Amino acid sequence: MNKKIISIFFLLIIFASIALAYNYFNQNSTDEKQYGSSDKTVTDSDVASQIDDTFIGEDSEIEIGEMV
Amino acid sequence: MRKIYSLLIGLVLLISISSIVLVKADDNGNHYGKDVDNETEKEIKIMNNSLGAEIRLLQLEKALLKNILKGEMTVQVLIGLNFTTTELESILTEMKALLEEVKTANTSSNESVQIFVSLKNESKNLTTQFRETMRGLLNDTSLSELRVRIKEMLNASDQLENYNKRIINLIRTFNGNQLYRLYGLVGEANSSFVNEYLNGTLPLNETKLQLCKIINEMTKEKKYEIFSEIKGENIRRQIHAQNEIEHMGDHGNGHGKH
Repeated sequence: MNKKIISIFFLLIIFASIALAYNYFNQNSTDEKQYGSSDKTVTDSDVASQIDDTFIGEDSEIEIGEMV
Repeated sequence: MRKIYSLLIGLVLLISISSIVLVKADDNGNHYGKDVDNETEKEIKIMNNSLGAEIRLLQLEKALLKNILKGEMTVQVLIGLNFTTTELESILTEMKALLEEVKTANTSSNESVQIFVSLKNESKNLTTQFRETMRGLLNDTSLSELRVRIKEMLNASDQLENYNKRIINLIRTFNGNQLYRLYGLVGEANSSFVNEYLNGTLPLNETKLQLCKIINEMTKEKKYEIFSEIKGENIRRQIHAQNEIEHMGDHGNGHGKH
């Protein structure tokens, strides 16, 4: 009986370790995705989106809320 | 003995679940604190140079002045209707003092982002205070009528026109600099599009379309190279903004003149 419980206990420790390791590596890969991609296919909309981000809209305004 | 095992198992399960929950919360949440909303984060992306800082602070100045004008018009209307406006006038006085701070803020300061965020938050707070006080004085129907009246009065006033002109000139200079940089990247010596944009004869959208067309007609490799350069600069701006916000979190968000 005791052996069974100890086995379950170790299994749970392994599960916790896997969960932590997965989260750690998942975070790293998310950061990599944000700052670069190994895929060299760039669509027209990707280019347009980056160009849009480069400029300021001439009608852009700062919103601080309405008085009334 | 069994109780100890059960407790240990429970503890391990708790650690596993909480680690997953923590990471999920971190993915979804705002990393930078409640003082900077998504809109502000976007706005400060261009503040990595003094021109960008000047644009954002001037836009804030205009927004604040616009609300002060609306507030003054509102007080005039309310006085005409025999309301007590002492509290509203006191908020307006604070807003005017804040406007002076925005006007004198140093756009070349290393802390211009922090100053901007702090002044913007104060502007939003005072605006909210004014609006909430108004809600205590008038019902929804009267407020709607007042909104229409204030809008008409504001349209008739030309006090904001000067700001609009200054802001558009600064934005065009900023965008012009970006156009020179991008045309330099794509290797096009022809800057007639830039001059036409700066003169106001070519709209920004047309200019952007011309650039996209040039880049999209390139070879796959060259297109990727240019795309990476543009994206790289945008990411650098994003990182600068995030660093500024994190720096603000470390040192508080007080503002001052530098």
